[in-house]
Amino acid sequence: MIRITVNGKDYYREAGQELGVFLRTLSAEGTSDSGGKGAGLSFACGGHGRCGKCKVKASGALSAVTAAEERCLGETGLAEGYRLACQVKASGDCEISTGEPPQDKNGCVAIEGEMAEFELLPSFSGYGAAVDIGTTTIAAKLFDDKGNELSSFGMQNPQGRWGADVISRMEAALKGEAENLAEAVRGAVNEIIDRIATLAGIAAKEDIRSVVITGNTVMLYLLCGIDTEPLTHAPFEAKELFGRSFPAASIGLAAVPEAEIYIPPCIAAFIGADTVCAALAVGLDRPGDPAIMTDIGTNGEMVIRSKKGLYACSTAAGPAFEGAGISMGMGGFEGAVDRVSLGEGDRLTAHVIGGEKGARAIGICGSGLIDAVACLLEFEAVDETGFMEEDECEIADGVRLIRNDIRAVQLAKSAIHAGILTLMHASGTAVGDVVTLSIAGGFGKFLNIDNAGKIGLIPSELVPRVSAAGNAALSGASMLLLSVPARERALSFSRMVDVVELSTDPMFSQEFMNQMAFEC
Amino acid sequence: MSEGILLEISENLQRGKAKVVKELIPQALEAGIDPETILNDGLLAGMNVIGAKFKEGTAYVPEVLVAARAMNQGAAMLKPYLEEAGVTSIGRACIGTVQGDLHDIGKNLVKMMLEGKGIEVIDLGTDVAPETFIQTAIEQDCQLICLSALLTTTMGVMADVVKKAEEAGIRDKVKIMIGGAPVDEAFCELIGADKYTPDAASCADAAKAFLTGNA
Ligand code: B12
Ligand code: FES
Repeated sequence: MIRITVNGKDYYREAGQELGVFLRTLSAEGTSDSGGKGAGLSFACGGHGRCGKCKVKASGALSAVTAAEERCLGETGLAEGYRLACQVKASGDCEISTGEPPQDKNGCVAIEGEMAEFELLPSFSGYGAAVDIGTTTIAAKLFDDKGNELSSFGMQNPQGRWGADVISRMEAALKGEAENLAEAVRGAVNEIIDRIATLAGIAAKEDIRSVVITGNTVMLYLLCGIDTEPLTHAPFEAKELFGRSFPAASIGLAAVPEAEIYIPPCIAAFIGADTVCAALAVGLDRPGDPAIMTDIGTNGEMVIRSKKGLYACSTAAGPAFEGAGISMGMGGFEGAVDRVSLGEGDRLTAHVIGGEKGARAIGICGSGLIDAVACLLEFEAVDETGFMEEDECEIADGVRLIRNDIRAVQLAKSAIHAGILTLMHASGTAVGDVVTLSIAGGFGKFLNIDNAGKIGLIPSELVPRVSAAGNAALSGASMLLLSVPARERALSFSRMVDVVELSTDPMFSQEFMNQMAFEC
Repeated sequence: MSEGILLEISENLQRGKAKVVKELIPQALEAGIDPETILNDGLLAGMNVIGAKFKEGTAYVPEVLVAARAMNQGAAMLKPYLEEAGVTSIGRACIGTVQGDLHDIGKNLVKMMLEGKGIEVIDLGTDVAPETFIQTAIEQDCQLICLSALLTTTMGVMADVVKKAEEAGIRDKVKIMIGGAPVDEAFCELIGADKYTPDAASCADAAKAFLTGNA
């Protein structure tokens, strides 16, 4: 046995203990004692030594520094005693400090969203809940059977410990963590139902008779304990596409053991029930002029309603807009630069989340990143090919962007832009015909749309037609909770959508190249 | 005169002006410059400049791609003349994205950069089974196998290719190079591949070094 001291608290483990695995289980144990501060760590890249998010101060009997650590931490980081938890094994007694205790990030989760009209005809009497399991966050709302919203809550998805994107989660599942992943998300769903019930002052949770749980296909597979292996490689076959009810007990929802659980239909492996719900919430299933709904996140799902019919695709932009893969990137929490504008002379003016309360800038989140790039283009600090003359550019005190950050933005924004163009092309829709571009997700709310047009995240013609739909997935799930006929609509909608397979689409590849530059 | 036109070919190629390149090549041939010189000091020289810029981060994917397209078109035009003159490539490689993975933009870039070094490349496309790499290497006598993977869940297939090469008894006859965003040096060592490089330009440099015995 060796002694591992974490933030001053001792733990005893076998020699050779992998620090990443150990700290992840610690975070699972909760934040009640000081050791549980491990919860502040994220393992964004899934333990591949690429994201640097699992950085800790460590000393004692540890395995040798790996090449990945040298790359991520640099000489200075290593000299200051930092290591990447996912790369280190404890060979003997050692001491670890995970830094500042995690702040409460739950306040930042997007919950509200646009909701199309629907016929109120709930599936339940008493109370019902709608839950959206996002890869990053989980949000929920509680309703009564008259359709009144009683409470809502948002929290981080605890599966973040296994990586930021769906592939990393499935990779962990393949390595035997599937049950732990399921347990983590079920725990979170139980917790969020508890929270909204308490907020609404409902003592008897048995009165919650119906729960609609939406999410992307991978999240729902992990929740239900379905093997995700087929979703990890081409042809990405998703046999289970849901669109039906389950007993709560079958998916371990102890908070509401008697409730009916409805999981909305998915379209494909990477176009999930959350996309279907969001499309419903913005009314894409109803007849109308051409319109596009997109969720600009890691997966970048989008749906178009056109004269020719409904088409959808998934563009895999990567997590740059969620702060991962950007040298000083972070989520939209306290200390994040979330808005940047041109100041006087050659200066930028940056807004910091929590700055009013004295928070210092410690990183940059997606909306700040887009603003910053737009400003740097304006200043010509970055040219139209994406080349940045200086090695780095200061955005706010102590927050900088480096050359590779601009390159990461180029990949992400052109994947989204090219996706939109390919979808319009496949459906024979001209850009002038698109009446609305609904951007779902929290990101859409905080995004400066003009700047999104400037950097080419979306076609500039569509800038005046953008509508921020908020957490449309949760709104759509709420509709399915409150309206049984809407479930029929969701099902027929999901069957009518044609999937545009981008990996083999020459137009996508071509546009992905074209849109990588910044048109100035 | 000959210097001038070769430089013009190189510069137009760097800017991706395929049409101009294709106009200049016949002019160069007419001026009596031999096809091999046009290839080396015009096309490949231009590609070298762009490759170096890409490596240092001053040029990016789209610039490299248009330049590579111009080079390919120019090279196709020169091909019959080169064959006539008995000029051969410096070696042969097969390349593909591994089974389960359909990402091919990086792979295509690597392919064009290899061609930019005068290497003949057999493109096996995407979702390529380990056996196909081995079979192609044997049947087509490739000295290099280049593997690309963009998904952390498919990079494991690269290890299978290395294993299959051993089983087929060709491990000492081929160099196996690997790359793609999730791949790194440590993984290369772990699976016993010969070389990892972070970008397409360094891949082409390393490939040339292998083929010319300077590795
Ligand atoms: C474009 C893209 C797509 C396109 C692919 C189009 C195409 N024809 O290739 C589309 C939209 C189809 C797509 C789909 C998917 N994608 Co995708 N995609 C990307 C994206 C945005 C860019 C990849 C790219 O082309 N880069 C540009 C090229 C030039 O770079 P590169 O490939 O790395 O190649 C360079 C080097 O790596 C090296 N190199 C490459 N190969 C080789 C080989 C050798 C031998 C050597 C030495 C070097 C070398 O040289 C190249 C040039 O320097 C990345 C995210 C990102 N920001 O990287 C995600 C990403 C790779 N995709 C991802 C995912 C999950 C998917 C999907 C599975 C899911 C989805 N949401 O749709 C699908 C499935 C695809 C499939 N069927 O296999 C994930 C992978 C996550 C993980 N943990 O593995 C990423 C990282 C995004 C993310 N974080 O979610 N994707
Ligand atoms: S570097 Fe350790 S989890 Fe990403």
